Amino acid sequence: MARRLRSANIAVMELFATRCPWYVAGPLIGLLIVAFYAVANRPLGVLGGYVDAEAFARAPGGGASWRVWMLGGIVVGGLLSALAAGRFAPGFACGSLDQALRGSLLAKAALLGGAGALMGYGARWAGGCTSGHGLCGNATLSPASFAATLTFLATAVAVANLLARVIA
Amino acid sequence: MRTQKSLALLVGIAFGFVLGWSQATEYDTIHAMHLLKDAYVFLLMGSAMVTAALGLFLLRRAKARALSGDAISFERPRPRGAHVAGAAVFGIGWALAGTCPGPAAAQIGRGELAGLFTVAGLFAGIALRGWAQARSAKPIEAPAGPCGAPSEPAHAQGVS
Repeated sequence: MARRLRSANIAVMELFATRCPWYVAGPLIGLLIVAFYAVANRPLGVLGGYVDAEAFARAPGGGASWRVWMLGGIVVGGLLSALAAGRFAPGFACGSLDQALRGSLLAKAALLGGAGALMGYGARWAGGCTSGHGLCGNATLSPASFAATLTFLATAVAVANLLARVIA
Repeated sequence: MRTQKSLALLVGIAFGFVLGWSQATEYDTIHAMHLLKDAYVFLLMGSAMVTAALGLFLLRRAKARALSGDAISFERPRPRGAHVAGAAVFGIGWALAGTCPGPAAAQIGRGELAGLFTVAGLFAGIALRGWAQARSAKPIEAPAGPCGAPSEPAHAQGVS
């Protein structure tokens, strides 16, 4: 019994430690978007969670909005995904970015902090991010979201390729 | 209201779990996408969009109602300069960080602590944009979009 439990446990860990196929993950996220419209009648836009959390930090009186709860849920979901895969080992590693920055934590903090600021400023300016415009807005056939998605995809592809050429 | 918050929390948990499981939280997954070396994230986002579009179409055709009792509806704003200019700034940050606001939150839960820097930056950028909008001589309206303005209370937002 114990052995069978252990092997089942290992099978589950292997399942969640292997990258979920896109044709499973994509439709799952799509269904979550539909479910969220049925619940809140609003797009599953993550930027809104940050915007509301920032407003909440300034004036906590009104309580945290449902969008803040959703954002908190994403953090919890991330934790659960790491636990399910048996891979919860907190650290600052960041894949191939570490080689590019020669392992400097300070450089990483500066780069990611700056990049985060660009994303926060730009997404608030555009009224949404990869989830709000990129997933939900396109699914609802919003012309503004088509324009925003094409723009941030084209910009990101251009910047990443340009940088790769400069560094190499 | 409390039901809505609990359900939003649940949807967030499921979303964060799938983001982690699909390794969309990893720098190299998004970097490979931006370098056009791996179609995975394009396929993931594309199939999510198609599923959501189909599901929403069916919900609306069935005249399903949201929890609040309202008919399910969404805004379809016309593109304006802000959508393009803001998205261009966002795209630069996306390429540099190798992550975006949703996966960055999931990173923190997964113990990928570099996400703390990204999230700190996100809050700074959001605050800066809010300050710029408030300061501007002619008041800038938050652009129509999924996350245009703070949402409290959610049901009071202009949903057409």
